[in-house]
Amino acid sequence: MKQWVKTKEFMVLVIVLTVIAIVSIGNPTAFLTTENIFDIIKSNLVLAIAAMGMLPIMLTGGIDVSVGALMGSASVLSAQFMINVTDNIPLAFVAGAISGIVLGSVNGFFVSKLKMPPIVATLGTMSVYQGMMSYITNGNWISNIPTNFVEFGKGYLFGIIPVQTFFLVAMAVLTWWILKYTFIGRGVFAIGGNTVSAERIGYNVQRIQFLLYAFSGFASGIAAVVRTSIFGQVDPKTFTGFELKVIGAVVVGGASVSGGYGSVMGTLFGVALMGLLENGMILLKIPTFWQKIMIGMIILFAVSIDFVRARRANAKQLKVDVA
Amino acid sequence: MEKNTFLHVRHISKTFPSVKALDNIEFVVKAGEVHALIGENGAGKSTLIKILAGVYEPDLGAEIEIEGSRIEKLNPITSVRHGISIIFQDFSLFPNLTVAENIAMGGALESGSAVVKWNQMREVAKKAVSKLGVDISVDVRLGTLSIAKQQLVAIARSLASQAKLIIMDEPTSALSKGEVELLFKIIRGLQADGIAVVFVSHKLEELFEVCETFTVLRDGKYIGTYPAAEMDNTKLISLMVGRNVEFERLSGKNIGETILEVKNLTKAGNFKDISFELHKGEILGITGLVGAGRTEVVQALFGLNKPDSGEIILNGAKVNINSPEEAVKLGLAFVPESRQTEGLVLRQSMRDNIVLPILSTLTKRSGLIDHGALGDEADKWIKEINVVPAVPDMLAGQFSGGNQQRIVIGKWLATHPKLLIIDEPTNGIDVGAKSEIHRLLRSLADQGMGIIMISSELPEVLALSDRILVMRRGRINGEFEGATADSESVMNKAFLADNKVG
Ligand SMILES: Nc1ncnc2c1ncn2[C@@H]1O[C@H](COP(=O)(O)OP(=O)(O)OP(=O)(O)O)[C@@H](O)[C@H]1O
Ligand SMILES: [Mg+2]
Repeated sequence: MKQWVKTKEFMVLVIVLTVIAIVSIGNPTAFLTTENIFDIIKSNLVLAIAAMGMLPIMLTGGIDVSVGALMGSASVLSAQFMINVTDNIPLAFVAGAISGIVLGSVNGFFVSKLKMPPIVATLGTMSVYQGMMSYITNGNWISNIPTNFVEFGKGYLFGIIPVQTFFLVAMAVLTWWILKYTFIGRGVFAIGGNTVSAERIGYNVQRIQFLLYAFSGFASGIAAVVRTSIFGQVDPKTFTGFELKVIGAVVVGGASVSGGYGSVMGTLFGVALMGLLENGMILLKIPTFWQKIMIGMIILFAVSIDFVRARRANAKQLKVDVA
Repeated sequence: MEKNTFLHVRHISKTFPSVKALDNIEFVVKAGEVHALIGENGAGKSTLIKILAGVYEPDLGAEIEIEGSRIEKLNPITSVRHGISIIFQDFSLFPNLTVAENIAMGGALESGSAVVKWNQMREVAKKAVSKLGVDISVDVRLGTLSIAKQQLVAIARSLASQAKLIIMDEPTSALSKGEVELLFKIIRGLQADGIAVVFVSHKLEELFEVCETFTVLRDGKYIGTYPAAEMDNTKLISLMVGRNVEFERLSGKNIGETILEVKNLTKAGNFKDISFELHKGEILGITGLVGAGRTEVVQALFGLNKPDSGEIILNGAKVNINSPEEAVKLGLAFVPESRQTEGLVLRQSMRDNIVLPILSTLTKRSGLIDHGALGDEADKWIKEINVVPAVPDMLAGQFSGGNQQRIVIGKWLATHPKLLIIDEPTNGIDVGAKSEIHRLLRSLADQGMGIIMISSELPEVLALSDRILVMRRGRINGEFEGATADSESVMNKAFLADNKVG
């Protein structure tokens, strides 16, 4: 229990609860209603699902700045698939997942096989994916999504939980299980801790890296289709800058930017914090520019905690039994 | 009884772009023997070990035989499968993972299963730790442990594998005397179980204590393999370096005014009532057992460990040093003990590493970095500390362990400190080169630097110090003049309590 209190995850949780307290005092009637809460969940599901893909990459010390563009492309491709091939709902998700995996594998190829720095490789593909998206859509909205899919998106589980929640739970459990109980997942932590040592004890670092970028693509692909189901249409412009939110949520959730530390639970708290702040600031009628400044400051704060902690840990190692 | 051959390698060569690290090496290890692998810094010991670990691929023509059968190719997994386990010079552990995972992951990976069995891993790790007889919880993160404990975890990791050969690359450099004894006990136990141990160390007494066979490498070449009975210190050293080496006593020529005065420095749980003076041109040796508080005292001087009370007076003025940055500004430099794990950016060139702390001082009038001056400065120190190969553009990570240590020393000397604090100056440095480092320190002192040297090696302390402080359990337990001190009385002060402190 005491151990748990010291974790970064716990800190983020405390902040989340504080924010909830402040916002509900500031706006008692609108904030703490079942409706608003599920609204918040629904509007942050997509972010959370994409963050599940980003977390393992950041655990190895890598980064994927193409997620926004990749998700846009996967949205467009899966929408075209629904419109032109079949309106079967499960197949729509398969189409999103496959396009995500293919695009993510391209990232994986550049990073693992060509050994390009992740930020450079994914900046490049980001531009390519954005171009691809504009080429297919001409910058226009896709609004002729099959009606059965749009109806599906409006559905509720047990009459109250938005259907899309299922995908988040599934993705979170899957990511958690991979990270905790598979050797690929442990390899992710090992690489983040010490890449050379990971190689020395027999991890195939290249293969793991490749798989992670493909997995991030998979998560973004699913997130893309989930997003379409929520809005009932695809607006290619809304994906710009989404990567900052995803990376921000993972970092705010306690993952270390240099790799090695972080968890699914923390990332979910991170998403919750980002989502709550956005929602809360809207309810409290704080101007947009202040919202942006706040979000940026929170990310900076989260990253700086890392460095302070590292220093403290060093200082602790000194201990002598004085006569 | 004639022992069976466990490992036999022949015609092992390894060429890196800049050097031929190994040249046609032969190496035989018998089952159950403790075998010393020795040679100077850069002789190729670690490279040979990495080939046996399957980390490096040898040049064409290599022949590797394990238990009589020919092995075509080794990789990290097959190496473990053939019963080889390695304790790497840099530990190769994961600071962000628990002790349990650090110890048991290699073996679990080798089993080829895809799913992690946590309970089983914890059991394996617990068994290995208790075999080692130390008190380390397997559930804490490795990074929270001291360097010595991490070294013990690295040892436990190889005990956990079903190894028939354990190769230890300088396993004792971070251990205290008691822990080294413990390791030797374990090595003897392994030997009784028929497990072979290859032991690399620059501390010759250690080698003579446990090893039965010696294999010597020099400049990447195989010199020979000899039974311990035919060996003694002098012979070993002359085989390693091709000449005789002895520490000569180097005393100070011109000791000047006081530059540092420490009065009653105290920190709870670290040290108590520490008072001493340091003069210009003087080398002050601080010795004592590992864990006596020596490092903690000098860390306090360098702003890394804030004392509770007491005074630090630098050049006559009382100072308050809160951070290493402030210390550097005051003309202090600190070469830490664990140079293997801190202090270098391994993926940058040696030149960039050396000039890192002085980047801001060497700028042109325009404010831009003066690369010419930086290069000259780096080259000068590379020559002084005698790094081999003396290639400024080579990445720091490509140098041998001992040469990396020299680079760290060079980096701090480049700041032209007035007061140099150096913790275990010849840790990991081969016997031949130790006296080179000694001469360098002495000449720096003669040019007016004040030097505080922490060392556990008595011959070194006696050869180099103008004055010697002996610490025991956080206090100064004795003080000697370097010229007249003898090893026995210094040892006594390190081990035994003294009522008349002073
Ligand atoms: N990755 C690498 N790239 C280039 N050169 C290397 C690399 N690794 C080692 N070398 C070179 O190979 C030579 C042998 O190095 P090695 O690390 O085997 O020495 P060592 O005997 O272990 O020395 P020490 O006692 O200092 O640890 C050195 O000249 C070193 O610079
Ligand atoms: Mg070495």
